Amino acid sequence: MLRVEDVEVRFGGVQALKGVSLEVPDGALVGLIGPNGAGKTTLFNVITGLEKPFRGRVLMGDQDVTSLPPHQRARRGLGRTFQRIEVFSSLTVHENVLAAAEARRSWGRDEPEPARSASELLERVGLGDVERERVDKLPTGLLRLVEVARALASRPRLLLLDEPGSGLSTHESEALGDLLVDLVRDGRSILLVEHDVELVMRVCQQIHVLDFGSIIATGTPDQVQRDPVVQAAYLGTSAA
Amino acid sequence: MTTFLALSITGLVVGCIYALTACGLVVTYTTSGVFNFAHGAIGMVAAFTYWQLSVGWGWPAPLAFLAVLLVLAPLLGAVVERVLIRPLYGAPIGVTLVATLGLLVTLLGVGFLVWPPDTTRVLPKFFEGHTVTVFSLVVDYNQLLVIVTSVVVAVGLRLFFSRTRLGIAMRAVVDDPELAALAGTKPERVSQLSWAMGASLAALAGVLLAPLQTLNVTELTLLVINGYAAAMAGRLRNLPATVAGALVIGVSSSLVLGYAGPQVVNYVRPAIPMILLFIAVLFLKQERLRAGSLAGLRMPRTTGLRQSVGVGVVFVVVAGFVSGQLSPAHLAIGSQGLVLAFVMLSLVLLSGYGGQVSLCQLTFAGLGAYAMGKTGGGALGLLAAIALPAAAGALVALTVVRLRGLFLALATLAFAQAMDQIFFNHALGYGGTLAIPRPRLPFVDTADDQVYFVLLAVVLALGSVGLLVLRRRAFGRRLIALNDSPAASATMGVSPVRTRLVVFTVSSAVAGLGGALLGGLHGSVSPNDFLLLNSCVLLLLATLGGLYTPTGAFLAAMSYALFPELQKLVPELGQVQFLLTGLGVLALGRNRYGVGGQLADAGEKLRALRLQRVGVARAAG
Repeated sequence: MLRVEDVEVRFGGVQALKGVSLEVPDGALVGLIGPNGAGKTTLFNVITGLEKPFRGRVLMGDQDVTSLPPHQRARRGLGRTFQRIEVFSSLTVHENVLAAAEARRSWGRDEPEPARSASELLERVGLGDVERERVDKLPTGLLRLVEVARALASRPRLLLLDEPGSGLSTHESEALGDLLVDLVRDGRSILLVEHDVELVMRVCQQIHVLDFGSIIATGTPDQVQRDPVVQAAYLGTSAA
Repeated sequence: MTTFLALSITGLVVGCIYALTACGLVVTYTTSGVFNFAHGAIGMVAAFTYWQLSVGWGWPAPLAFLAVLLVLAPLLGAVVERVLIRPLYGAPIGVTLVATLGLLVTLLGVGFLVWPPDTTRVLPKFFEGHTVTVFSLVVDYNQLLVIVTSVVVAVGLRLFFSRTRLGIAMRAVVDDPELAALAGTKPERVSQLSWAMGASLAALAGVLLAPLQTLNVTELTLLVINGYAAAMAGRLRNLPATVAGALVIGVSSSLVLGYAGPQVVNYVRPAIPMILLFIAVLFLKQERLRAGSLAGLRMPRTTGLRQSVGVGVVFVVVAGFVSGQLSPAHLAIGSQGLVLAFVMLSLVLLSGYGGQVSLCQLTFAGLGAYAMGKTGGGALGLLAAIALPAAAGALVALTVVRLRGLFLALATLAFAQAMDQIFFNHALGYGGTLAIPRPRLPFVDTADDQVYFVLLAVVLALGSVGLLVLRRRAFGRRLIALNDSPAASATMGVSPVRTRLVVFTVSSAVAGLGGALLGGLHGSVSPNDFLLLNSCVLLLLATLGGLYTPTGAFLAAMSYALFPELQKLVPELGQVQFLLTGLGVLALGRNRYGVGGQLADAGEKLRALRLQRVGVARAAG
C-alpha cells in the first residue's frame, strides 16, 4: 500500500530523517514508535506531502507520489490526523467531519449522504452525543477522536494516525484500540504513531522504531520489545 | 552621457530614500512580525513636524532634525507598539493588518487636522544653493546628504545587527521569541525597540523626501509605499538585498522616465513602483502548507435559514415603511449605507469566511460601475457589471492565488493602486466622470429615489441571506475549513487553489454589482471613488463592524454613511473622525470579531441563558 524509500529531510544543518525506508502492506496495522524528536511527525509530513524530502521517494501502490501536492495524495486514498490538533475551530464537531465527507463527495463521487456518514463515523469513534457541540468546547483527547472521524470521512485506504491516544482515559484508549483493529479488518491499512506502548504492542502487527531520524529496529511487537538496541534507546527508559 | 549621469544621480537619491523606508519596514517586520502599513504615515507626520519646528517655529534646522529623528519619532514608535501592537501578539495577519491600517488612517487624520491642506508648505532643501561639480555634473548638497545619510544608515544597521548584543538579541527574537525569552531577552522590549527604530527610519525618509516636493499629507503617506517593492526584494528579511532593490528601482525608474516619451511617462510613471511590487510579490517563494499554524479565530455561530430569511423579510418591510418617512437627503444617506453594506458583503465572504485579505475591493466595484456605465442599465448592463469584475477577479486570483496573508494583501494593494493610476484615470478621465444608469427592472421605477432605496434594501437582504445560506452549505464549510486549517483541508483532498479562485471570483462579482448600484445611486462615478485608500477604509470599517457577519457589514456601512449627518449635529465630530477610527482599532486588541461578533456573542449568551431557564423550569415541573 505504502512504500517509503530512503527519505532524507534536512532542516538547515540538522538531518531530521536520515535515509528512512519502511513499508505498510495492504490491510496491515503498522506501528511507528520512538522518543520525542525522533522524526515521526516529520515522516508523516513527508508521506502526506506537507514536507518536501531532500532525497528519497514515497510510493502509494506502484505510483510514485513524491511530487504530488497534499490534496492529490489524499484523493489517492491517504488520510491522516495531526499530533498538534488541526480541527476546524469555527465549526461544530459534526461539521468538522461533514466537511471531509463533502470533500470526498466532490472528488470521489461515492458519498451519497455526507451528513449521515459523518454522524455514523462520530458514533463509531464514540462522539455521537457531542456532535452538535462547537469543536472548541471539547477537551484535547476528544479532539483527537474528531480528527480520526474526519480522516475516516475521506474514506482513505491508508490512514496515518499521529498519537491518537494521547489525552484519552484508559477506557477510551482501549476503545480506540478496538476501533483500529476493526478498521484494519474492514480492509484499511494504518500507520500508527503512538506513545502509549501498551496500545501499540496490543494492536500492531509490525513495528518500526525511529531514533534520531533513523529506523533502528523493525519487527513484530515481541521482537521489538526484546531488541536490546530499542530497549537502550527507548523502551528501557519507559520500562524503568 | 551627461543626461545619463544626471538621471542616475536623481534616481540614486530617490532610491536611497526608498532604501531608508524599506529598511525601516524590514527592521520592524522581522523583529515584531507585524508589517506596518502606517510606515509612510509616520514619515509624513515626521516631515510635517519637522516643517513645523524648523519653518513654523523657526528652530535651527539641525536641532529640529535631531528632535524629530531621535526623540519624537522613536517615542511615537514605542507608544504605538505598546498600545496597538502588543495586545495583538499572535493575532492572524488580517487583524494586525487592519490595526496598522487604522493607525494609517488615524495619522492621516492628525495630519489633516494639524496641518490643514489649505496652505502651501514648502521645506527648503538642506544646504540650499550649495552644489559641487563631479565629472562636469552639478550635484547639490541636498542630494549628497541623502546619499551619505543612506550609506551611513545602511552600514550602521549592518553593524548593529551583526556586532552588538542588542542587535543579535533582536535577530534571536525573530527566530524564536520563546527561546530568546529563556535566554534572558525580553521579547516585548526588543519588539518595542524595533518599532522605535522603524519609526525613526520612516521619519528620516519622510524628512529627506519632503524637500524634493511640496508637503502633502496623502502624497507623502502613499509615496513611502514605494519602499514596499524594495522591501519585497529583500523578502522582508534581508537588509542588503533590500537596499540593492531600492537602488535598482530608483535608478531604473528614473532612467525609464528620463528617456521615454511623455506619453509613457504620464501613463505609467505613477504606477511603476506598484507594478514592481506586484512582480516582486509574485516572485516570492511559494509558502508551503504547514501544520500547527491555526488561524486562531473562531467565527460567531450562524443563524438558521428560517431565522435569517425572517430577519431579511422584516428588514425589507421596515425599509419600505421607513422610505416613505425619509426626506430626500436622508433617503440618499440610507441608500448609500445600504449599497456600501452590499459591497462589504464581498469582504465578509472573502476575508471573513475565506480569511483572505484584499485591499482592492473598490477596484472591482469600480469595474462593475464602469461596465454598467458602458453597456446601459438593462439586463446586459447588469450582466456586464457582474461579469467584468468577476473576470478581473479571476485573473488577479490566478496570479496571486498561491499567496496568503500579508503577501496577498500587498499584491492586492499593488493591483488597486496600479488600476487606479492606469485604468480609472484614463477610462474615466482625470477628474472626469462616467454616467452610470440605474438598472431597469420590469414594473419598478428605479429612477424614483424611494423605490431605489427599497430595491437596495431588497438586494442587501438577498445578498445577506444568500451569504448565510452559502455559509451553511458545503462550499461555506470548505471555505471555513480551509481558513481554519489549510493543512488539514489539503489532507482531506480539498484543492486550496481552486477554492480560493472561486471565492475570489465570486467576491469580485459581488463587489462589482455593488459598485454598479453605487454608481446608479449617484448617477455617475469618478476615479476618486475607487482609490486604494478608500478600499483600505472599507476593509477597516468592515473589520470594525465585524467581518464575520452580514450584520457587522450593515452596521459598519450605516455608521459610515450616517457620519456626515451626525457631524451636522455635532460639528466637532469632523475633527475627531479619524481619531474615532483609531480608537475603534484599539478595541480590536480586546475583541477581534468587531461589533457584529460582539452582538453574536451576546446573542449566544442569551440563548444559553434561556435554555438554562427552560431546563430549570422543566426540572422543576
